[in-house]
Amino acid sequence: MSADLCPPYAPFFGFAGVASAMIFSTVGAAFGTAKAGIGIAGLGTFKPELIMKSLVPVVMAGIIAVYGLVVSVLIVGNLNPSNYSLAAGFIHLGAGISCGTTGIAAGYAIGHVGDSFVRAYVHEQRVFVAMILILIFAEVLGLYGLIVALLMNTRVTGLVDCI
Amino acid sequence: MGYTTYASFGLPTFLVVIVVLYLLFTDSGEAFDVGRFLEETSPFVWGSLGIGLCIGLSVLGAGWGIFLTGSSILGGGVRTPRISTKNLISIIFCEVVAIYGVIMGIVYSAKLQSVPEADLYTKENYFTGFALFWGGLTVGICNLLCGLCVGVAGSTAALADASDPTLFVKVLVVEVFGSVLGLFGLIIGLLMIGNAREFQGPTAPPAIRI
Repeated sequence: MSADLCPPYAPFFGFAGVASAMIFSTVGAAFGTAKAGIGIAGLGTFKPELIMKSLVPVVMAGIIAVYGLVVSVLIVGNLNPSNYSLAAGFIHLGAGISCGTTGIAAGYAIGHVGDSFVRAYVHEQRVFVAMILILIFAEVLGLYGLIVALLMNTRVTGLVDCI
Repeated sequence: MGYTTYASFGLPTFLVVIVVLYLLFTDSGEAFDVGRFLEETSPFVWGSLGIGLCIGLSVLGAGWGIFLTGSSILGGGVRTPRISTKNLISIIFCEVVAIYGVIMGIVYSAKLQSVPEADLYTKENYFTGFALFWGGLTVGICNLLCGLCVGVAGSTAALADASDPTLFVKVLVVEVFGSVLGLFGLIIGLLMIGNAREFQGPTAPPAIRI
């Protein structure tokens, strides 16, 4: 019975979860960094003193990658060749997908918001506070995925005992 | 609704539906067995695919970033030749991504040891094969995305430098944030392979102690 619940190919899905968390979060982070970073050069040509504040979207896009890193590290810690059930593999896959795909969404939003912010910041400096509020809501999308992934990961321990 | 939509979505979906219905109606639905496929595939397949994808995708990302940055440096260098030397830093940032792929390729290939077919299919070897595949894919795709991101940022930095030399260091910060993504992929790739032993036959019984 236990041998059926812990087949040798169970780690395939666990590793797929680790990869999903890292890859998809990096997609979001890379898109956010590149898209938000493009306008900074244009801003700097006209108003160089505003560059430091314009780096906020870039930093927040980097945080999305850190979310993916955290979930990946936590899942990888639970992977081992023996004593790993198929149920644990699927739970880890779900956790990785949840963190990763929310990271894509968050990074995409941060990128577009950052791009529009930079183009508006040149003309009107009071949009900074509005941008921070919008970015917080976009960042929190990635945080929701992280929370769900962490919750799923805690359900793995003590699920099935492989002999 | 062009022909590309039909080719990329319609045709594969149609073929998959035909295959699924054939299996269903000829009472051979059990032929579709993901577990059996994963058990029958040799761990060497997974390992080799992972290593190949690791280095291949990393180098793809590095090359993509280099051509994005390089063409901007050369274009901006027409009017402002002074930017060419300083902006080579952006090219080096992209190259570093390929170095990450090479390092992981070397670390992973140390796990590929020769094991005869009869002793190959153990739990540890399956685990190592899967770790190599998904680790290589993670490192490769993270480096691909990092190279793209650094390339776009480097292109922007070159044009900013051409317009005002004091801007270069400030736009370089965006590149640094981009290059951190490749480093994260490297860390996860190393962690994945941490628990995985190299491919080996079944362990010998412990020596008798007198």
